[in-house]
Amino acid sequence: MKIGHGPATVIGRRGILDARTAESQETCPGWSKLTLFARKSVAMSLAILARLFCFGARDFVGERLRRGWRRRAIFLCAAFCCAALNCATSGAMGDESYAKQQSSTTPASPSAPPAARPNASGKSAPATIVTDETGRRVAIPADVKRVVTLAPDLTETIYMLGLEDKLAGDTDYCDTPAAAKLKPHVGGPQNPNLEAIVALHPDLVLATTSINRSETVDALAKVGVAVYTANPHTVRGMLASTKRIAELIGAGDRGAELVAQSQARLDAISMRLADVPLVHVLFVVWENPLITIGQNTFIADALRCAGAESVILAKQNWPQISFEEVVRLEPDYIVFSSSHTGFGAQELAALRTKAGWKDLRAVELGHIAVVSEEVDRPSPGLVDAIEQLARQLHPDVFAPAENRKALLENGKVKMKNGNAPRRDAESLAGAAL
Amino acid sequence: MRPLTPRKILGVCGVLFAVLFVVVVVSLRMGAYPISVRDIVMTLFNGVAGRREQIPSEFWLVVFGLRLPRIALGILVGAALSTAGAGFQALLRNPLADPYVLGVSSGAALGAIVSLVIAPHVPGLIQIAAFAGAAATIAAVYFLGRRGGQLDSPTLLLAGIVSASFLSAIIMFLMTTLSGRDLRGMAFWLMGDLSSPAAIDLRWLYFILLVVLGSIYTTSSDLNLILTGEQEARHLGVNVNRVKLVVYIGASLLTGLAVSVSGAIGYVGLLVPHVMRMLFGTDYRLLIPASALGGAIAIVIADTLARTVVAPTELPVGAMTALAGAPVFIYLMRRKVR
Repeated sequence: MKIGHGPATVIGRRGILDARTAESQETCPGWSKLTLFARKSVAMSLAILARLFCFGARDFVGERLRRGWRRRAIFLCAAFCCAALNCATSGAMGDESYAKQQSSTTPASPSAPPAARPNASGKSAPATIVTDETGRRVAIPADVKRVVTLAPDLTETIYMLGLEDKLAGDTDYCDTPAAAKLKPHVGGPQNPNLEAIVALHPDLVLATTSINRSETVDALAKVGVAVYTANPHTVRGMLASTKRIAELIGAGDRGAELVAQSQARLDAISMRLADVPLVHVLFVVWENPLITIGQNTFIADALRCAGAESVILAKQNWPQISFEEVVRLEPDYIVFSSSHTGFGAQELAALRTKAGWKDLRAVELGHIAVVSEEVDRPSPGLVDAIEQLARQLHPDVFAPAENRKALLENGKVKMKNGNAPRRDAESLAGAAL
Repeated sequence: MRPLTPRKILGVCGVLFAVLFVVVVVSLRMGAYPISVRDIVMTLFNGVAGRREQIPSEFWLVVFGLRLPRIALGILVGAALSTAGAGFQALLRNPLADPYVLGVSSGAALGAIVSLVIAPHVPGLIQIAAFAGAAATIAAVYFLGRRGGQLDSPTLLLAGIVSASFLSAIIMFLMTTLSGRDLRGMAFWLMGDLSSPAAIDLRWLYFILLVVLGSIYTTSSDLNLILTGEQEARHLGVNVNRVKLVVYIGASLLTGLAVSVSGAIGYVGLLVPHVMRMLFGTDYRLLIPASALGGAIAIVIADTLARTVVAPTELPVGAMTALAGAPVFIYLMRRKVR
């Protein structure tokens, strides 16, 4: 009785699957033999599984036949409903063959996958295929009119290139310059709302590996939005990627100019610091828990440009370190970025009373440097931060007059550092080096 | 108590299907991109009929490109997790059992993370690794939970909890020592996240889901008997070991499937079967399909809230399930007591 029952199911189910396979073969000549073989083998294994489990199930009362039918009916019903759902969603998965199978009434349906479809009607401008900095191939319209940036540094780059009219949207974190806050936001850089991005009809979305997730880029690429991902690891890399982005949006001249200026400023700094030994610093990304930078980050490179070197040599990008390690390594300077900690004179006073910190030689000497938050963002504004940092770390190299002028220019830094500890630092700079 | 009739099973499933359909339509309507219900119905109708040219491409993109795949993923994950929870609860005769408590989810997450670290861009590998992690964990927990040759429910639960925290610690260790781009995705993923599309075609995952649901369903009347006690079930002629094997493998597969595409979404596997039990009774012939549908409804609602409450920013769906799930559960529990 039991044995008679099992195979009946198996044969029935196999029949259904074979019919399906045959159908797909007819309608989709593109299916390779390999795929067909895979489908068939899955059908076979399903049959084997079904047999296994049908034997495994065992009923306890006499009326197993009827109940078996009920159960089978429910199972089939559920299978049917899920199949219907699959049909409904399959077009969305970008599966060409399946879509074709469905739209058999319209044999001339476009064979291009959805990725190649234009975003909005009427945009038939020729697209150029470029390879972005993560090795992804992107089709970018020749005439980019609307750009969405997914990171604060990219927003800043766009503004520095003078392309703010083309900026259709940015993230919640984009606050520099202030005008960027007024643009439509698409959410945080790590969890942007994809629909909000699509709703802005962008010709090009700019992302960066320094903050965005690859999943976001994948998802956007899947629905046919052009995403260019920057991947800067060094200051020079940042400048190169700025140049490329400028070219993509059609501001190649402005980009080249900006990059040349920045490069000249960097060269000027490195010339002045050519004979000066590196200062050993601790860059504080976050104070509690203590997080610093790894050697492969662009901040580490910015420090090198400013004549400094991180005392922590970690392979991780943002390592969390113990305070004991700081005590052991005795950094000459401690560098804070003003964005995270809002570091000012009060904070310096607080640091001087804080257990542990107050005994550090750098804190005793007042060797604290504060840079603007630009240092966290790989945009051309980073060069400003490098100049600030170089002046603070090498006060004896940069003439005092010039130093003071720079401090006056940058009111924020003057407020925070233009007091007693600053003079301490100048007088003791020789000893520290 | 009235006996369970096929009419009742079909009726309940029909009602739940209707609820799921309404929830899906409402969820399709909500989002940052404004679309009217009429346009959605039009898009759906034309899309299913294959007349894609008649739909504005933006609507197509939002409905079929963004919202529907996400909803489909939610249905898959919800159904898989809550069915796995129902299965574990029956086998262990313990209302606390669920993929998270038993460490199966942590095992799947560890497997998935290891596969992401070793080969990030091989499609399908993450599913296999997650299932391997889940299966290895449940096997380890199963053997740790044996006492004197018999499976001991409290020991098994303890073994599960210990494995879960051990595996979570390994995940934390991996996340601290490795860094870079993948880490960021993983942090979201560990909170439970439906926003990133699965690397593998969803139809394959639905296929696996259906096969496993079907095979677990064939054991439902045996599970009813096992609930009264393993010895009793054995005396009534149930092949207890075989049923256990089927349900353990099936539930591990389901957990691996869900975790590999969505990360760790908590609460669903524990809550939904209980809610369904309170609503429709404890008969597993009804409970399994009801849990699957209920889990799908719960996840779709939770994900809709997650992407609309603080729009345009998105919340992880795992936070939403816990936030919304706990009060509902307490309410139902209190009502039951009164």
